[in-house]
Amino acid sequence: MAFRAAFSLLSTLRRPVAVLRSLKQPGRTRPAHYGMQLRPLHGTAPRWSARLLTAEEMFGRRSMQDYLKKLEREYEESLQKANSSESGEGLEEEQLRAMRTRIHRMAPLVQSLRELETNEAELREAEALLTDDDPEMRELAALDIQHGRQHVQALQHMIMELIVPDEEVDLCDLVLEVTAGVGGQEAMLFTAEVFEMYHGLSRHLGWSFEVLEYMSNDLGGLRRGCAGISGPCSYKRMKFEAGVHRVQRVPRTEKQGRTHTSTMTVAILPHPTQITLTIHPKDLRIETTRASGAGGQSVNTTDSAVRIVHLPTGTVAECQQERSQLKNREMAMKVLRARLYACRLEEETSRRYLARKIQIGTKGRSEKIRTYNFPQDRITDHRLGRSVHHVEDFMLGERLLEEMNSALQEFSNQESLLELLGENV
Amino acid sequence: DCVAFKCIRHYFPRNSILSCPLQGICGTHSAPLSTYQAPPPIPGSSMTAFQAMNLWRRCFEERGVGEPDQSSQYIVAHLLGAKTIESLGHEKLNKPLSCAKMEQLWELSVKRLSRMPVQYVIEEWDFRDLTLKMRPPVFIPRPETEELVELVLADLQGKEDTGMHVVPQLTCLEVGCGSGAITLSLLKDLPRLRAIALDQSRHAVDLTRENALRLGLEDRLLIHQVDVLKEPEVLLSLGDSISTLVSNPPYLFSEDMTFLEPELLRFEDHAALDGGEDGLDVIKQILTAAPKMLSIHGHVYLEVDPRHPPLIQQWVKDHVPGLSYLETRHDITNRPRFCILRRER
Repeated sequence: MAFRAAFSLLSTLRRPVAVLRSLKQPGRTRPAHYGMQLRPLHGTAPRWSARLLTAEEMFGRRSMQDYLKKLEREYEESLQKANSSESGEGLEEEQLRAMRTRIHRMAPLVQSLRELETNEAELREAEALLTDDDPEMRELAALDIQHGRQHVQALQHMIMELIVPDEEVDLCDLVLEVTAGVGGQEAMLFTAEVFEMYHGLSRHLGWSFEVLEYMSNDLGGLRRGCAGISGPCSYKRMKFEAGVHRVQRVPRTEKQGRTHTSTMTVAILPHPTQITLTIHPKDLRIETTRASGAGGQSVNTTDSAVRIVHLPTGTVAECQQERSQLKNREMAMKVLRARLYACRLEEETSRRYLARKIQIGTKGRSEKIRTYNFPQDRITDHRLGRSVHHVEDFMLGERLLEEMNSALQEFSNQESLLELLGENV
Repeated sequence: DCVAFKCIRHYFPRNSILSCPLQGICGTHSAPLSTYQAPPPIPGSSMTAFQAMNLWRRCFEERGVGEPDQSSQYIVAHLLGAKTIESLGHEKLNKPLSCAKMEQLWELSVKRLSRMPVQYVIEEWDFRDLTLKMRPPVFIPRPETEELVELVLADLQGKEDTGMHVVPQLTCLEVGCGSGAITLSLLKDLPRLRAIALDQSRHAVDLTRENALRLGLEDRLLIHQVDVLKEPEVLLSLGDSISTLVSNPPYLFSEDMTFLEPELLRFEDHAALDGGEDGLDVIKQILTAAPKMLSIHGHVYLEVDPRHPPLIQQWVKDHVPGLSYLETRHDITNRPRFCILRRER
């Protein structure tokens, strides 16, 4: 429910446009190819022209109710089968194990569904009391209803969370990569600020943030930076931050007070486990300053920078963040692994999500997702088509960014859910 | 410097150069000593950390101090409480330095100007996960040795994971512990390991103990001051059930000592570098004692000069029954750097 509070903070600047759009396209019957193929690269039209449905509206849909009933039925049947085969008849060992896993996984969902039913029944009882003769009774009933509704909504949210399928990589740690785009020094300064913003967000959400690469210039700008982020839901959230971020402001270096527009890119690379990605040592070339001469005890160098080249693909990662060469090598490997994995993932997902409107992770790399307008003190997310004020607060990476990010997640969840229910989004 | 080093080794016949390492000070690299220049004065106006760093980088460069970029960066980073300039952030770099900080910076940088290694100047350095105290003349651990620890760890971790209920008590012996880098790394990553660390130098023994205390690893560690060249019999008194013997012994050829950078020649303990005529003096002592000290199938891990592996293999075959040469491993720059041997029945 936090996101709903977030929306009250979001300015309604673009909302009339969004509503107009959804009116023009009644019954959610946009052509299926409305997705990324036809989207102009630098368009600012909101990605989600439809509005976000409330939990109540979602549960009011027949398709949703049918789907939930189906799940419950499935659970009951599985439970019955598993129990009857325990007494010695029917299923193979393996089938049985698969079924038990499924039962185990569905249990919290079914539990919540039953709780919801009970709560809804209680709510109806309380509503009946609203017409009671006793004013005190009516007051009590109103209070009950208020509490009951909150509880029901919370349950509905939980159920929706449980239904939306996790992506394979949702549970991964990730590597954040920021790169300065168009706009020279100003773009690099903004890149440094965005990097710091995500550092702030990590602190705010209790994630670990480990700087892996920081290629700055003398004036304090950042050409490219990488950081390893891990913590609960870190990839799940951060994937919505990937894309081109645009800044509009008067740069510090600008003498005539003109507003410049610059860009930077955020990539979110899921960090693969050892099993999902194997790299052969012979495919790597490791470069250090100790490569010439005799090395070992005969030289004492303090330059512990490490650069690793993956020869078959030409992918490069380097690190000079640490005083220990081994640590630098480990960090460079981490970045390299993430980059190689991202390439492979990109190939796989481009097939799977071709038709989806939301592009996440590396896929959205070229899409402009957000504008930070300093003169108007406003941040606009082009996918939501909504704005929020107080750029400086936003860039602390705390509440405002968290709320915008939550809104994106809600939208994406809704889309997944409708897709799951077989509705034409 | 490295190219010169290589060429000289190739073109000068052995022993044609005096083997006393101290004479190297007056050799080819000693120009800055004879022509003494006063350090640059502290500027009257205030400076940002970034400006001061650039000033010292230029100064180091002009006076032929090695790694001028890194030296100025590490010193400034240390001054501002960070490990590297990359982890400092540009905001701190662009702030003016206080008078006290300026004085501190000058004090540290002047030390570096005398060719004192950066690690001694800032009095600490990182080795793998550990930050260790560094103090002259105790040998400064090199990055190759981080890889040596990697090899030993893989082996010992395998031995701990036997799958049996009773895990064998593992004991590791290090000869020539210096600042304690190897032993302390092993103790940190293997919480059941016990270790014995030896060094011929009082300074090294003290520094290892100090580092162990700082890291809270002293409980499982015994430290002795022993010179294995002078009293090899002490090695045998340390027991006969050592699981692993590890050493980064002095392995430079005496003739090569002359061509070392002044940083090493003037500040590091020569006894930790000079391995004798063929660089094998200490190595031979270790390998001779190894079969009597190791438990059956216990391993020896050595860091050596790239010319050493075939020499060691042959020598062990001829002189040390009960010890077999298993393999040579390369460092990340692909030089043959590590020897692994095993005690047989």
